[in-house]
Amino acid sequence: MSFARAASVALVGVDGHLVEVEAHLAQGLPGLVITGLPDPSVAEARDRVRAAVLNSGETWPARRITVGLGPASLPKHGSGFDLAVAAAILAAAGVAPPSALAGVALLGELGLDGRIRPIRGVLPAVLAALREGVARVVVPAANAAEARLVPGVQVTGVATLRELLAFVRGESAPRVPDPPSTARSVTEVARPDLADVIGQELGRSAVEVAAAGGHHLALFGPPGAGKTMLAERLPGVLPPLDVDAALEVTAVHSVAGVLPAGSPLVERAPYQAPHHTASIAALVGGGSGLPRPGALSLANRGVLFLDEAPEFPTRVLDALRQPLERGEVVIARSGGVARYPARVQLVLAANPCPCASAAGDVACTCSSVTRRRYLGRISGPLLDRIDIQLDLLPVTASALLREAFDVEDSAAVARRVVEARAAAAKRWRANGWRTNAEVPGGALRGPWRLPKRVRASVDQLVDRGQLSARGYDRVLRLAWSIADLAGHDSPSTSDVNEATFLRTRGAA
Amino acid sequence: MTGPDETRLARVALARLVEPGHRELGALVRASGPVEALDRVRAGAVSAGLHAAARTRIEGADPIEQAADDLARCDRLGGRLITPEDEEWPSTLEALADISTTDEPHVYPPLCLWARGPHRLATVAERAVAVVGARAATTYGGHVASELGYGLADRGWAVLSGGAYGIDGAAHRGALSADGVTVAVLACGVDTAYPVGHANLFERIAEEGLVLSEWPPGATPQRHRFLVRNRVIAALGGGTVVVEAASRSGARMTARRAHELGRVVMAVPGPITSAMSVGPHELVRDFGARLVVSSAQVIEEVGALGEGIDAEDVPVRSQSWRDELEPRAARILDAVPMRRAKPVERIAADAGLPARDVRRTLPTLMLLGLVEEVVSGYRLTASARVELSTREAAPVPELR
Repeated sequence: MSFARAASVALVGVDGHLVEVEAHLAQGLPGLVITGLPDPSVAEARDRVRAAVLNSGETWPARRITVGLGPASLPKHGSGFDLAVAAAILAAAGVAPPSALAGVALLGELGLDGRIRPIRGVLPAVLAALREGVARVVVPAANAAEARLVPGVQVTGVATLRELLAFVRGESAPRVPDPPSTARSVTEVARPDLADVIGQELGRSAVEVAAAGGHHLALFGPPGAGKTMLAERLPGVLPPLDVDAALEVTAVHSVAGVLPAGSPLVERAPYQAPHHTASIAALVGGGSGLPRPGALSLANRGVLFLDEAPEFPTRVLDALRQPLERGEVVIARSGGVARYPARVQLVLAANPCPCASAAGDVACTCSSVTRRRYLGRISGPLLDRIDIQLDLLPVTASALLREAFDVEDSAAVARRVVEARAAAAKRWRANGWRTNAEVPGGALRGPWRLPKRVRASVDQLVDRGQLSARGYDRVLRLAWSIADLAGHDSPSTSDVNEATFLRTRGAA
Repeated sequence: MTGPDETRLARVALARLVEPGHRELGALVRASGPVEALDRVRAGAVSAGLHAAARTRIEGADPIEQAADDLARCDRLGGRLITPEDEEWPSTLEALADISTTDEPHVYPPLCLWARGPHRLATVAERAVAVVGARAATTYGGHVASELGYGLADRGWAVLSGGAYGIDGAAHRGALSADGVTVAVLACGVDTAYPVGHANLFERIAEEGLVLSEWPPGATPQRHRFLVRNRVIAALGGGTVVVEAASRSGARMTARRAHELGRVVMAVPGPITSAMSVGPHELVRDFGARLVVSSAQVIEEVGALGEGIDAEDVPVRSQSWRDELEPRAARILDAVPMRRAKPVERIAADAGLPARDVRRTLPTLMLLGLVEEVVSGYRLTASARVELSTREAAPVPELR
């Protein structure tokens, strides 16, 4: 026997494609050639596999070995093919029965000593294998829990090449114990609580409304006003992810290699706060070869917080616009197109000016031009997509004292948010919108127009030129979220009144 | 004996035979009634000029039959015919007879009007303002026209215009977006969309306002008809606002007719360097047109005494507003400072209520003109200070 075949999975973004790994042993000068658009990390499998086989006590066939990865036109990246390459070569050499490799997808990186190392992207790879009809997978033992998240797949975790050989020969191998499990500890990690934010009653209420309607949020205010505190608490009041969303989020985190070991499923809304020196690639994804997901995709179904937003390069901020609109990032490379989900709630925070006096605007020493230019770095089209734009005032000592009691915690707010989201989802279902934030302005002014009596206060703001047409739509959208939180069928006059406060005075 | 149907048919037939507004025909109809007038026109027993105007069409099909067809067609599309015999006929149109001269033969009142839309024309014409202007309007002109349309309609005035691109369309849309009444007077049949790009607009106006025409359904727009049509717009409106117009234009013509009729002519100023503002500026110089910059100023010109002044600055507030305030709102109002504005949180603390309650109520108090927003927060308005200056002496009784 001089030919054998194994299967593995190649990832492009979070989309997996089943790859056939074929090994052919021929007469000739001993050597190993890998074909089928391998990138350097795949090509290096040559040396890793040989060392691992030898160090596992097997003999390396002294033949001319050709390994083909098919389809040959699909670029392959990463070290996850090692296992399939080793299995195919050993089966072709007659060390293992080739029939045992039928209908199994193998994923994993080999160490030189024959250990099998965990790899990125196991969850999307297993999902792809299942989709293409392969229901048995062999994965590194450290990734087994992640692979088991996919229902209907038979997962075998292997820690060494010996174990893999024992598995394909149908023997039971000396079992190396799995790494210690830290199951379910991560999801229970305490999130910062909304009750910690004292003296920013308007800010807390804005966070609640943002969570209920899925609205983007921009917070402007002096240092110490609590912008960052508020932003960090938004994920804590978002509803837990449903099964589909959790798998989607976990898949992206798996590709990025940031899943915690042991308890792989991400069940809570993720939170990403990239620093303002982040590049476009770091934010929206990219990099050479296989584009990696950026912070935007890691925050999918959760919160992307950009602190000191004007300090981000304008190009970086503007790169967010299109993904925010579409809910996904599409990164095109000559070798293919990677798509990553990017449905995030954006939270921007900014000081009103570069001098940023903690006492607020009264103590500002910036010139009016400087101030305008500073906030002008956040482009109009980006701000247009942000429903809640709030000026936070510095917290006064009296407010701190007054509000020390009577402050709700995140759990209480989250309960209201869950109900509000359900009410909104039910109302908009026929139109295909999930949250109030997705409702276009035309619908708010058209079929869902509020009675004149109810919207009188916003109309007056528009009449007086204190609110733009877009600002008008934003206020209406927020009024629906406030109504949902209050359990009203449609916004009342008071709901609309309250919504008018969730905007920047003058700028909106 | 002439029955009502016969009269209507005769009017439609005459309107078909001679282009509308014909002075001699109009006078003849006034003197002898439409039925006899039709007989005489058909028999050629009229002056040479009128005979010549009608001759080419007399030789075609039977005008009475055609008129019946027109009425049937109008019925099918849900329209109606309005004639001076109907109580819906607006008396304002009759003034056109007084300004007609032999030099301008087509200024007489319409013989009849075709209409689509739910409103009674005479009622609408009681409170109507024409907003007209150039088709090639600038962004500024379009903005002003839609603001005027919105503001007028919002205050219960019907907005008249000609349904053209530019200023006309903007004025109509402005009125529609205020849920108000707007009237498009067309120079073609009420079922004909001209310009085609306004087909949807006309459908909406036919549903929520009025589409009018002197020409029967199916009539095509012709160049001279627009000028003839303009006299109807001028006569129906209590005044005419020209937003933007070139030096020689239809809008200027409408304004001239309004001037002749003794209606208020108003002009919206613009940059003196803009060709589209030459028309309004000339109106100010030549006819003494009033400069207007807001719908309130327009209403001040055309409305009852003092109406416009009320419309903008002092919100309508009934004498008993105090009694109508919710207890919570009254309590918040009491906490709003007289002069030195305070932010929401301070007002909430003074009222002993959560800040959220204050936010949910303040805009309503602002709407009533009791509270105003300034940079540092909120305070009472000047008028509220006067009314509330007695509040220490006589506390609001319904306070809890």
